[in-house]
Amino acid sequence: MPDSLIPPTIPTVPVTPTILESLRAIVGDKGLILDAPGKQPFVTDWRGSTVGNAAVVVRPANTEEVSKVVKLCFDNGIAIVPQGGNTGLMGGATPYPSHTGILLSLGRMNHVLEVDPVGYSMTVEAGCVLQTLQETAASADRFFPLSLGAQGSCMIGGNLSTNAGGVQVLRYGNARNLVMGLEVVLPNGDVWNGLRSLKKDNTGYDLKHLFMGAEGTLGIITKAVLKLWPAAKDVATAWLAIRDPQAAIEILSEAHAASEDNVGSCELMSRACTDMVLRHIPGTQDPLKADTPWFLLLEWTSSRPKAEGAEGMSEKMEQFLSDQMEAGRVIDAVISQAESQSRNMWRIREGVAEASRAEGPGLSYDISVSISKIPTFIEKGIKASLDILPSIRPYPLGHIGDGNLHFSFMGPKGMDRQTLHQYSPAITRAVNDLVRDLSGSISAEHGIGIDKIDELAHYRSKIELDTMRTIKRALDPKNIMNPGKILRL
Amino acid sequence: MSDFIQKLAAIVGDRGLITDPAAKHPYLTDWRENFLGTALAVVRPASTEEVAAVVRLCAAEKVAIVPQGGNTGLVGGGTPDEGGREIVLSLNRMNRIVDIDPIGYSMTVESGCILKTVQETAALHDRLFPLSLAAEGSCTIGGNLSTNAGGVQVLHYGNARHLVLGLEVVTPAGDIWNGLRALKKDNTGYDLRDLYLGAEGTLGIITKAVLKLWPKPKDVATSWIAVPSPEAAVALLSGAHAASDDNVTSCELMSRQGIDFVLKHIPGATDPLADKHDWYVLLEWSSSRPRREGENQSGLREKMEAFLGEEMEGGQVLDATIAQNETQARALWALRENHSEAQKREGPSIKHDISVAVSKLPTFMHEGLAAMKKALPECRPVPFGHVGDGNLHFNCQSPPGWDKQRFMAHHEAISGAVYDLVVGHGGSISAEHGIGLLKVDELAHYRTKIELDAMRAIKRALDPENIMNPGKVIRVS
Repeated sequence: MPDSLIPPTIPTVPVTPTILESLRAIVGDKGLILDAPGKQPFVTDWRGSTVGNAAVVVRPANTEEVSKVVKLCFDNGIAIVPQGGNTGLMGGATPYPSHTGILLSLGRMNHVLEVDPVGYSMTVEAGCVLQTLQETAASADRFFPLSLGAQGSCMIGGNLSTNAGGVQVLRYGNARNLVMGLEVVLPNGDVWNGLRSLKKDNTGYDLKHLFMGAEGTLGIITKAVLKLWPAAKDVATAWLAIRDPQAAIEILSEAHAASEDNVGSCELMSRACTDMVLRHIPGTQDPLKADTPWFLLLEWTSSRPKAEGAEGMSEKMEQFLSDQMEAGRVIDAVISQAESQSRNMWRIREGVAEASRAEGPGLSYDISVSISKIPTFIEKGIKASLDILPSIRPYPLGHIGDGNLHFSFMGPKGMDRQTLHQYSPAITRAVNDLVRDLSGSISAEHGIGIDKIDELAHYRSKIELDTMRTIKRALDPKNIMNPGKILRL
Repeated sequence: MSDFIQKLAAIVGDRGLITDPAAKHPYLTDWRENFLGTALAVVRPASTEEVAAVVRLCAAEKVAIVPQGGNTGLVGGGTPDEGGREIVLSLNRMNRIVDIDPIGYSMTVESGCILKTVQETAALHDRLFPLSLAAEGSCTIGGNLSTNAGGVQVLHYGNARHLVLGLEVVTPAGDIWNGLRALKKDNTGYDLRDLYLGAEGTLGIITKAVLKLWPKPKDVATSWIAVPSPEAAVALLSGAHAASDDNVTSCELMSRQGIDFVLKHIPGATDPLADKHDWYVLLEWSSSRPRREGENQSGLREKMEAFLGEEMEGGQVLDATIAQNETQARALWALRENHSEAQKREGPSIKHDISVAVSKLPTFMHEGLAAMKKALPECRPVPFGHVGDGNLHFNCQSPPGWDKQRFMAHHEAISGAVYDLVVGHGGSISAEHGIGLLKVDELAHYRTKIELDAMRAIKRALDPENIMNPGKVIRVS
């Protein structure tokens, strides 16, 4: 939680012993956590920067139990913080210190209900761990494309509630594009069954898209029908040392045609970023001994197996990379020859968040601009930040095909969290002003949660904020559903 | 002239105001002439600011507004009621292309732009705007987005909502929401964009949009295929994905009945194949990579020919022809696109725009045809649709010589049978046309109270005076 944040007003109705007994009657002892050490991991956000309170952690086993719990809270005006894998970066699933209500964890609702390989869909409960879903799809020779650093512990309900992004958005879209239907428990405890597996359905307002990305403030996603794709059969992964961010954009632009539209991922990393990962994540190895400031992780994926004697993805990529070297965009490159090699490349990319936690205090901005403006943003953004704190250490990285940068900084060597945070408001303002000037977004994929409510209020028009508030009030009149997140009412 | 009309004239000028009954008429009836309403005036603002001013005036005077684009909707969503206390707000003067960015693959347009103009503008810049449907010569993009239009390329590119990055909307209070963001990723609060898309003008008026563009196809193969059954059509599509290297952009199923109507009513239409067959598929593959001439390099046409040859041996294809040039391809597409026009000329018809999961489409087809015949044995079913989307226009033509009144007496029995079957198969009673006026009761019947209440809560919250296209999609009172 930002130091400067004045917590919003939220309902403060307490969980009385009577209500606690009613909760126990719904979810049983197995579904309640009351002791402080047991609650601790649920009320603390992943980065350890926000620690809140909850009277009790409630862990329902099915939709019916969620519905009953929510109904009980609705009748009594008790606030609810829904939580999935608790890997969010904006505090959206963390209760405020002033929270007196419950924390509702979906972790026990982790069943895959149906896999339909022929219809390319899968129906799942919200508490399924993302990696489990990827593996379930793979075992049916299908592919569920959502993929991000926290996939071993984040849950699909949280992914959908935050409209998660990740490393495959370029090709498959954000989380909201991977969904056909939802089941949602509404703030009054009613269950909306929108579990339709239809490609086309124009029957009234699109409630599905409203709940996705709402960060649990309009209801609790309990089940989803997910889209599946054919499993990858031919994959080429490469690590490129490149001239600069502009070269990265040009490489991606030409890669679409060269790969015959098979670019799966294209991740930009700065040298400072890869060095940080190599320092902190055991077992990672530098794929190239190139002394260059920028790297690109490029992956091409096809669902067609490589035919005997024909050119596969690797051969096409080899030709492409040598062309790009001649053009001066690529300085050096290695195409993975074994799965262990590509795993290492991906481990470096996915280990960034973990490494940054080990590195110590830092600042990070999840921004997006139109793709062509990325080089300008990096250049101006770094300059503006160094002007405020010359010894801060930038390590930008991002999904350049989506125009999305994680514009991140390690604190100056030896500077403690508290000192760094004195500079944070000025740097935040400078970075977000630049985002605004370049018509970008101040939160491309991580959402708003607690951390950015004041930033959102500052940069969005009154009309837009009022419209959001109107919707929130209409669907959650008692303001019990994740109150104080995204918006102040 | 009443005080209200004078105030309107002060905002939009004489050019922007139609009060003459004859001139108003085309705006007061829908394309199929199923609905005829009345209106105080037809107002045609020239800019977003004028739209906002008109809406503010209407909000103050409690006059309801029916927003209208090209007026090509099939469910009466753009038609005023018979009370005479509404205005029609036509966007058709707001038809400017605001900006085109070929490098960023996006385009900003006013909502009154004709879809075809948008397509052609994209093509001029070597780009594709993929939304494509029969009414493209007269429908407008604002209407397309307000109804989340479908069309013949959904299979590859998605519905209208997938083709949009940002919107500008005039709210029921007359405020302008500027959501014209050209970003691929933006997780900053509720997804207002997707709420307005498909709301049929009941939550606000879309005035501008940032559209996504794609590379223009450089190699296109179009074929007309006779297939033995709907099952064969689904199987054909399933095999086509791999055979085309994932380049299937359209796969349209038609019946002999539909083709007969087109051949009868549309001048110049000819049967592409020598013999008559029960079922046809129009299959199109498109690639943005130009045809490469020379040995071992073949284009989509050659690939399609090989594919159809194999499918013929396998019995999924009875006969087929591949267009050899664009003129031939256009002629094949005209057979598909003239289905609605031909049905209109043949006489009264009852339309059902339904969807089911793709794998259930053949079963639904057989059961649905039987259900229609059972409801009215003399009726003539005209099913056609988008195989890859599980979406059928499951239409029913009147028996020969019947007038509208006589036929419509069977409307409930026929539609009830069809919709019960759709719902029984977990499908949708309106896949792409929306709800409008026509299906308000159907929606209320088939959707749960919880879902309807959630929609009503949103409608009441955003349009508390119920002035924005009242009575469409959902009843609030």
